[in-house]
Amino acid sequence: MSFISKLKEKFFKKVGDKIEDAAIKPEEAAAPAAAEAAPAPEADAGAAPAIVDSPVPQLVSDKALFPPELKAILPGPPPGGKIKFAHYWGAGCGGCDVSLLDIREKILTVNDMAEIVFWPIAMDGKVKDLEALDDGEITVTLFNGAVRNSENEHMLKLLRQKSTLLVSYGACAMWGGMPGLANLHNTEEIKKYVYTETPTMKAFQDTQPSPVIPQEKYQAPEGELHIPVLYDTVVAADDVVDVDYYVPGCPPQQTSIEVLLGALVGHVYNGADLPPKGTIIGASEKTLCEECPRKKENRRITKVVEPHEIDVDPDLCLMDQGILCMGPATRAGCGSPCTMGGQPCRGCYGPTGAVSEQGASMLTAVASLFPVLDNDALIDEDVIIDIMSQVKDPLGYFYQFTLAKSLIKRAVKEKGGK
Amino acid sequence: MSEFDPKIIAFCCNWCSYAGADGAGVARLQMPTNFRIIRTMCSARVDPEHILRSLAKGADGVIVLGCHPADCHYIGGNYRARRRMALLRFVLEEYGFDPKRLKLEWVSASEGEKFQKTMTEFIDDIKGLGPNPIKEGA
Repeated sequence: MSFISKLKEKFFKKVGDKIEDAAIKPEEAAAPAAAEAAPAPEADAGAAPAIVDSPVPQLVSDKALFPPELKAILPGPPPGGKIKFAHYWGAGCGGCDVSLLDIREKILTVNDMAEIVFWPIAMDGKVKDLEALDDGEITVTLFNGAVRNSENEHMLKLLRQKSTLLVSYGACAMWGGMPGLANLHNTEEIKKYVYTETPTMKAFQDTQPSPVIPQEKYQAPEGELHIPVLYDTVVAADDVVDVDYYVPGCPPQQTSIEVLLGALVGHVYNGADLPPKGTIIGASEKTLCEECPRKKENRRITKVVEPHEIDVDPDLCLMDQGILCMGPATRAGCGSPCTMGGQPCRGCYGPTGAVSEQGASMLTAVASLFPVLDNDALIDEDVIIDIMSQVKDPLGYFYQFTLAKSLIKRAVKEKGGK
Repeated sequence: MSEFDPKIIAFCCNWCSYAGADGAGVARLQMPTNFRIIRTMCSARVDPEHILRSLAKGADGVIVLGCHPADCHYIGGNYRARRRMALLRFVLEEYGFDPKRLKLEWVSASEGEKFQKTMTEFIDDIKGLGPNPIKEGA
């Protein structure tokens, strides 16, 4: 038990601060562990979860620092007994859950090392079992997906309370990811479109006397039913609770997962130090371009194209060929599988440490790709607008994964002057 | 309600517009005082991040002033800047901002009067647009 108690001492005390803020002392909470858990789902309709100050993740573990000590088969359970492991999804697609199975035979290390206490996509587990655990009893929880409704928020807070280490796993948990693009609309617009305007739903609604739209509360003969409240604003996991580590990606790539598991195995079996709190695990300080094997000629482009519109040169940089690739603004660490496969980087490893947002960084790179014309001094601003409007939906493209963590964070509405 | 008093961030290029602003001051040209100048070495030094951060912190408008085309101290900085600003305006529009909250203008070192005119017009425009919608309760 030694390493788990040491780990708890080292980490849980620190993280404990935030849990104590929520008026739960670890000792008290042990018995009816659901003390704080129960009231949480009744959040105000449409209200965003309370945002806590989270440290900006800056530290990075380069692979050289934490070589994967990961072997397919471990010598049985760790000396102090198996650790407890959980994996849960918020507003995500399930790809992150599956990514953990994507590490082939190395998934066996997880089973050797850990007892899986909660992982809904892979095994049966009930929230009440989770609630019955002691605070900090789960050694490590991977939380993937953004926080978009009251259920996400409740489960994230519950898992934080029950876990010694909480890992923000994947692009959605780190920056809101693609669900974060919902911040360009509000809940009412989204519900209206999804339930009444999409072709399939419209056909159904036309057969109804009045539009049928899910309600948050419903009085059935057997009692009142609730469904989670959809928030207006999607936020990242570390906007809601304290997070120990980050693993980027959509989903995290095998190499990054191996670094994470390698660090855990090293700690659990050999007592090696864990990376410092706030580390972005399995990623590098450089941009994807540094890692991408394509040849860069730093050409200027005059026309933006999609990969299917041209014969993609297999060796030349995609940007040089006119394909907008997020590589210059994206953190390396994934091994550049997309660009090697002839598809542009989408930016799922997020911004580098040197900038505060990925979109602005990419915008600068793209705008500089267009050449200065011979008659640039004489041309009208309209010509510049024409040139730049080749970039379709720049907000959606540059902020595909990071909108909810961008400087502006969500759409605004001009109210007019006077 | 008292009259809306906008806050404007003005990024001025060290070689032209900052000197232009200085000229306007030396000549005692009258203009509204709603703007705060940030001197940059070139209009191309203004990262979109600076502008987004200004807006996120509640600036009602951002104006970037650089050297006239063909006059850039670094040869082509202003050409880069205007491509970025054009693209950034699309992004702002998608966020829901009125793109007129971001303006790019050329003011040379000798154009104190143009500086006065540009700033006065921009502040009037922003007064017409109203407060930055990102501000709570605005």
